[in-house]
This record gives sequence, C-alpha cells and structure tokens, in this order.
Amino acid sequence: MKNTVKEERIKKQLTQVQLAEMVGVSRQTIFSIEINKYVPSVVLSLKLAKAFGKKVEDVFKLEVSD
Amino acid sequence: MKFLLPHRYKKIGTIIAPLGLGLWLCMQLGYIKKLLVYFFGQPQMSYEVSPHHAVNVTTAILGFLCFLGGLYFVSFSKEKIEDEWVQRTRLDSFHFAAFLQIILTIAGFVFMMIAGDPGEGGMMLFFIVLVFLFWLSFIGRFNYILHVKYKQ
Repeated sequence: MKNTVKEERIKKQLTQVQLAEMVGVSRQTIFSIEINKYVPSVVLSLKLAKAFGKKVEDVFKLEVSD
Repeated sequence: MKFLLPHRYKKIGTIIAPLGLGLWLCMQLGYIKKLLVYFFGQPQMSYEVSPHHAVNVTTAILGFLCFLGGLYFVSFSKEKIEDEWVQRTRLDSFHFAAFLQIILTIAGFVFMMIAGDPGEGGMMLFFIVLVFLFWLSFIGRFNYILHVKYKQ
C-alpha cells in the first residue's frame, strides 16, 4: 500500500513529532509509515487523514500487489 | 497488553539485571569467597557448613534472582508511548527470538550428535543458554529497532 503521509505532512508544515502528537503515536511510527515499512490500522489511518483534512483514500492507496 | 508493567520498570530492570549478573559471575569466579577470606579469615570449620559458604550461596541466589527479575522488567515494560507499531515490533521480536532459539536448539543437538555426549552439566548449561538466549535476543532486537534503526 502506498501512502502520501510525508507529502501531506510537509504540505501542512508539520514535523514528525508534531504529527505524532496530533494522532497520539510515537515519532518512530510516523517514520515507519512514511518509509512504507508499516501499514497502519484503520483507526490510525482515519486519524492521519483527519489530521491532513483529507479522505483516507486520498492518503492511502492500494497497489496492484495488495 | 494486560501483562505489561509501567515504563519506569524498564529503567529499574536495566540497572538490576547487569548488577545481578555481575554478582552471580563474581560468585562463580570465586571472588566472593576470596573477599570473605580476606575480611574474615579462613573458616574454622569445614567450608560446606561455614558461614562463608552460606554467604556465597545467598549471593549467588540473590544475583541470579536480580538478573531474572531485571530481564523480566526490561522485557515486559511498556514504552513511553505504547502504540500499535511498538506492539507489532514487540511481536516481531518475539518471533525473531523464537526462530533463533529453534535454530540454535537444532544446531546444538546436531553438534552433540557429532561431538558426543556433553554430560549432565553440559546439557544443563546448553538449556540455560537457550533460555537466556531467547530473552536476550528479544530484548536486543526490540530495543535495536525502537531506539537505533528508527532513530533517524
């Protein structure tokens, strides 16, 4: 699954720490999502999308291999 | 997770585990006995029934229990922020430790079949190493992922 968390975070001028605090996770979690090493749960995906003011499917996209 | 202790126990465990191991190793290497003889002189009675021996054994038990308790505290303490990624990393680390233990168990038995019977003491040591290897590899991998690999 691809995501645009890093791009959206930069657009919003947020640091990883600030975004992590907004959604209630650790900075490492944000980092691992950004480098596609971790696929977040539905709850966390919804929280991230809400933090960016976007729909969840705009932030997370399925790939052919999924 | 229901079984996890508060984060402060991790610090306590980080201190008492090496202390306990050090104490236990001191006893095993005979340093405690040497210290007792240095301060209180040679025992007047047979060593096995002397207070020196009792202190030595108590030190060993205390050291070993501190080491086990420390390992438990380090392994089963929450992180400062205990989120879903930390929980997945913990689970992955348990898988890693279990896999490593299985591989080394097989390798150990193959080695024993080739090299011959290691005796009761050798087997005991082998199983103790296997048990501790599980916990040490779990702690090592979990903390490496959390505090080194994803530190960037």
